[in-house]
Amino acid sequence: MTVLPAGLHETLGPLGHGLQLTLAMTAIAFTGALGLGVLLAVCRISPVPPLRALGTAYVTVFRNVPLLVLLVLFVFGLPDVGLLFSLFATVTLTMALYWAAFICEVLRAGIRTVPLGQAEAARALGLTATQSIRHIILPQALRSMVQPLANVFIAVALSTSLAAAVGVAEMTGQAQFVTLKYDQPLTSFAATTVVYVLITLTSGLIAGRIERKVAIRR
Amino acid sequence: MKARIRTSARTLAATALTAALATALAACGSSGSLPAPSGSGSHPAGAPTFQQVIDGAPVAPDSAIPAGSLMAKIKARGTLNVGGTDASALFSLKDPVTGKLTGFDAGLAQMLAKYITGKPSVNLVLVTADTRETLLQNATVDSVFATYTITPARAQKVAFAGPYYSSGDAILVAKGNTSITKVADLANKTVCTESSSTAANDLKQYAPSAHVILFQTNAECEQAVEQGRADAYVLDQALLLGDQVRDPKVKVVGQPFTTEPYGIGLPLASPEMKTFVNDWLKTLESDGEWTKLWQSTIGTVLSGDAPTPPAIGSAQGS
Repeated sequence: MTVLPAGLHETLGPLGHGLQLTLAMTAIAFTGALGLGVLLAVCRISPVPPLRALGTAYVTVFRNVPLLVLLVLFVFGLPDVGLLFSLFATVTLTMALYWAAFICEVLRAGIRTVPLGQAEAARALGLTATQSIRHIILPQALRSMVQPLANVFIAVALSTSLAAAVGVAEMTGQAQFVTLKYDQPLTSFAATTVVYVLITLTSGLIAGRIERKVAIRR
Repeated sequence: MKARIRTSARTLAATALTAALATALAACGSSGSLPAPSGSGSHPAGAPTFQQVIDGAPVAPDSAIPAGSLMAKIKARGTLNVGGTDASALFSLKDPVTGKLTGFDAGLAQMLAKYITGKPSVNLVLVTADTRETLLQNATVDSVFATYTITPARAQKVAFAGPYYSSGDAILVAKGNTSITKVADLANKTVCTESSSTAANDLKQYAPSAHVILFQTNAECEQAVEQGRADAYVLDQALLLGDQVRDPKVKVVGQPFTTEPYGIGLPLASPEMKTFVNDWLKTLESDGEWTKLWQSTIGTVLSGDAPTPPAIGSAQGS
């Protein structure tokens, strides 16, 4: 192709702005989900029944509702009870809450990979449940979770595109604008696709590196 | 309408989901306001009801329907196949109780069916902006009545009778809002519109400094205005009026600032049908049927006298 599509120059600006929003949403939502997910996982493996029930209830609720439905519910439901946040804040918060349920399950599965003998040894040493989780189980478990967590990270990055459906002009939203303006859906969505693939490939590569570094040879 | 229901395949499922949920939410939010403006509701004194208009509609003389024409085929079948919608207040809305369609488009479709077959027998096929041309080309429907804006590009694929109605982009705001009355007031305001509508483009032209938010559905845009997330909602006036009917918390302000001529989509392969439908439209307009239909539908929410229908063939592509 020798001729650049009409308006390419004017197109890159908005798409670049959209990319910034996408990256910011991904980073904030994933960090938030990770923090909440760790708490939830601790709840789910804790010896205290009410905490376990709380963790299970949370995961069941958030993991079984489509993210798009949650987004619409939060974006249009919260203002009805008097909480009008910016679209960006609402959407990022919703995504953090949603993906926390998945991260919780990744962590729980990771914790299961720690041999039972480790927990028994910790108890034999006189550590409390909290101490053994914090000093013995989690540090080992986290290492086996690098790839699964990277998968969740990729899913978070791709799911930010749903924000376009509730009015956030992140990368997909900007692509819609550009399409409306230039009627070149293939061009704008092809460019967007390339960027999404770059994001996911990069995170996959980084996760691979981290995994090799922290792996425990057993 | 230009593109209200132009839904890309990518977002079809998403739209369906969001629409369902947003409608449910909107229903909660607007405390029991019922949709469905019925023909007998708030129409001005002396104006005919929707049913009276249909009952009084003319039937074509046999001489107007030559053998071998598409009209003759429809007459033999006894039913007019119409592409349209059942969810557009004022234009084509299904009454959930009786199952009957009312509205300006629905009325015209029934009147055309009656003109050809002698009774207002219509078989409605739901269409979207993506499927209208195809359904006409493959003869699934004989005609499309769907706030279908005539454009030269579309006229390459289908024939347009009309225009039978002229609408345009208008502004919807919350009931208490007095700061926005015309398109110039949208400068530096947050304005939402539907993501597949070309109103977003019109906004770039008429209100370049407005901050535009795209939502998937009409209900979401309406909700955003009601909740104060957006200052205004811009879309075809005809559709915004439908929102105003259903939701007492919003109102349409000012006059349309673009022009959307609505046409009746017909198969390009049957040119005799276009001539026939145009002649029928002229009859309706000169006999006052058009005005009566307007009074019993759009006129129930729009104050003032019925407008003069746009001249047949006046739109580029008709």
